[in-house]
Amino acid sequence: MNVTRKNKQTVILLAFVLPALLFYAVFTIAPTFGGVWYSLTNWNGLNPTYEMVGFSNYTEALGNDPYFIKSIWFTIQYVIYMVVLQNVIALLLAVFVESRRHSKVLFRTIFFTPNMLSLIIGGFMWVFIFTKVLPSIAEKTGFLFLDQSWIGDPSWSFYSIIILSLWGGVGYQMVIYIAALQVVPEQLREAAAIDGASSVQIFRHVTLPMIYPAVTIGIFLTLSSSFKVFDAVYALTGGGPGRSTQVIALNIVEEAFRFNQRFGYASAKAIILFVIVLLITMLQLWIMKKREVEA
Amino acid sequence: MAKRHSDHSAIKHGAGNAFIVLFLIIAAIITLFPIYMALLNSLKSDGEMLNRILALPIRLEFGNYADAYRKIDFLRSFWNTIVVTITGVTGIILFASMAGYKMSRTPGKLSNFLFALFVLSSLIPFHSILITLVKIAKEIKVQGTTVGLGLIYIGLGVALAIFLYHGFVKSIPRDLDEAALMDGCGDFRLFFVIIFPLLLPITATVAILNALWMWNDFLLPLLMLTDSDYYTLLISTNMLFGEYNNDWSAILASLVLTMLPIMVVYLLLQKYILSGIAEGAIKG
Repeated sequence: MNVTRKNKQTVILLAFVLPALLFYAVFTIAPTFGGVWYSLTNWNGLNPTYEMVGFSNYTEALGNDPYFIKSIWFTIQYVIYMVVLQNVIALLLAVFVESRRHSKVLFRTIFFTPNMLSLIIGGFMWVFIFTKVLPSIAEKTGFLFLDQSWIGDPSWSFYSIIILSLWGGVGYQMVIYIAALQVVPEQLREAAAIDGASSVQIFRHVTLPMIYPAVTIGIFLTLSSSFKVFDAVYALTGGGPGRSTQVIALNIVEEAFRFNQRFGYASAKAIILFVIVLLITMLQLWIMKKREVEA
Repeated sequence: MAKRHSDHSAIKHGAGNAFIVLFLIIAAIITLFPIYMALLNSLKSDGEMLNRILALPIRLEFGNYADAYRKIDFLRSFWNTIVVTITGVTGIILFASMAGYKMSRTPGKLSNFLFALFVLSSLIPFHSILITLVKIAKEIKVQGTTVGLGLIYIGLGVALAIFLYHGFVKSIPRDLDEAALMDGCGDFRLFFVIIFPLLLPITATVAILNALWMWNDFLLPLLMLTDSDYYTLLISTNMLFGEYNNDWSAILASLVLTMLPIMVVYLLLQKYILSGIAEGAIKG
């Protein structure tokens, strides 16, 4: 009796889970294992046959592919800028927006607007700003520093990419911080104010510790999304000029789908990206969770 | 003493306030500037754009829009984007709510194992599975069509949605299930008639998160949709940008056209969208 009931429960469980599991298995699990498998082969997209080559794709990617290594360093540089700037600006905006009474909703709506758009659309608009609008403003106002080769000069295009990414991403982060701020009890801040604490002190010693978990989430999200950056770079510079602004994701996609279609080799690079993101986000969560407990 | 203190802080408060307002206004201008510039210059002729890029248009040049509308085949691209998004979102809501609900309600090793299997995928970056995904899609013939792309999105997005449903179901009392089963209601009817309507708040969140993702996703459709009959809005715009590199009137008009549907939705539903985003980010 008990056994049949348990069996029936299992059958029903499977019936409910099966459709989701089917799609998940075909489009997520299979490609994951497939990626690991192909990374050990010399398969290219055109040739139907391939053979196992062990870890030679990995040693080539890390030892003998200057463009890939360069894309890793470029991405890391990008990640550092994004994690710091995106979270600082978003937190500032969140605190300032929350301090408004009447204009709160208006500002929140405005700051989130770019997040509704694809960075491809945003990127093309910024290409217009960088190549047409800013030079024109520079000419009319004399602010000549605005007339730069924002897209064509790699030392400037790094900052163009950062500007576009911040423009498109800060609002999302801000919404997370606003949600966290709304949970901080008003009485705590009031009590600190009565005790004579300045607003900066209140923020530093009352508000910030209370929203620390949201900061952990915010940094985690910017870390993992910045490592995978693709759209912003694709729309703005396409990785150029040359390959000077190429990020890891772009390097992988070009390796697989544009140049020589070395699928096996590109898969190895994709696994390397996976490992980098996994290690760094785990490290971040571990460090910040430890601090959360202490605080 | 107490009075002086409060005066002092009132002045400081006033200065701080002015700074905050100024900061917010400047940030708002920077945020809206590219969109405003695109809109403004999409209504000018080429020559006027070059000479008076910041000024209001002398005469509204709607011809740019007719041109862009034709070049990105707006109606068809729009329809294609809708088909992808509806297929993906409907599939995710249906399958994830079923699976999330049942796994949340069923104790035992199998149920826990399945749930862990879904949750683990959130660690895998999309680019790490992309190459093999394209190959699999080709082999099982879902590559190249909008419905096929929607089906792929189900497989990619179902895990996060299951996670959200799984958590939410815990807030619905079990007594409800038991009472219905006592009355002889079958498992599927119980779910679709009684439970599913109660999941509405989280269903809204799941729908918003996934619709935004699919509507704005670029790389996957770029690799999957090779026939221009199936191009989505983003892909059509990207092709236009690549082809008419310097034809800014057509490009800007097409950017505005592409933005238009989502901006309308945003203005109508912004309250729900913002709370959905916050919820999704914090729980996910």
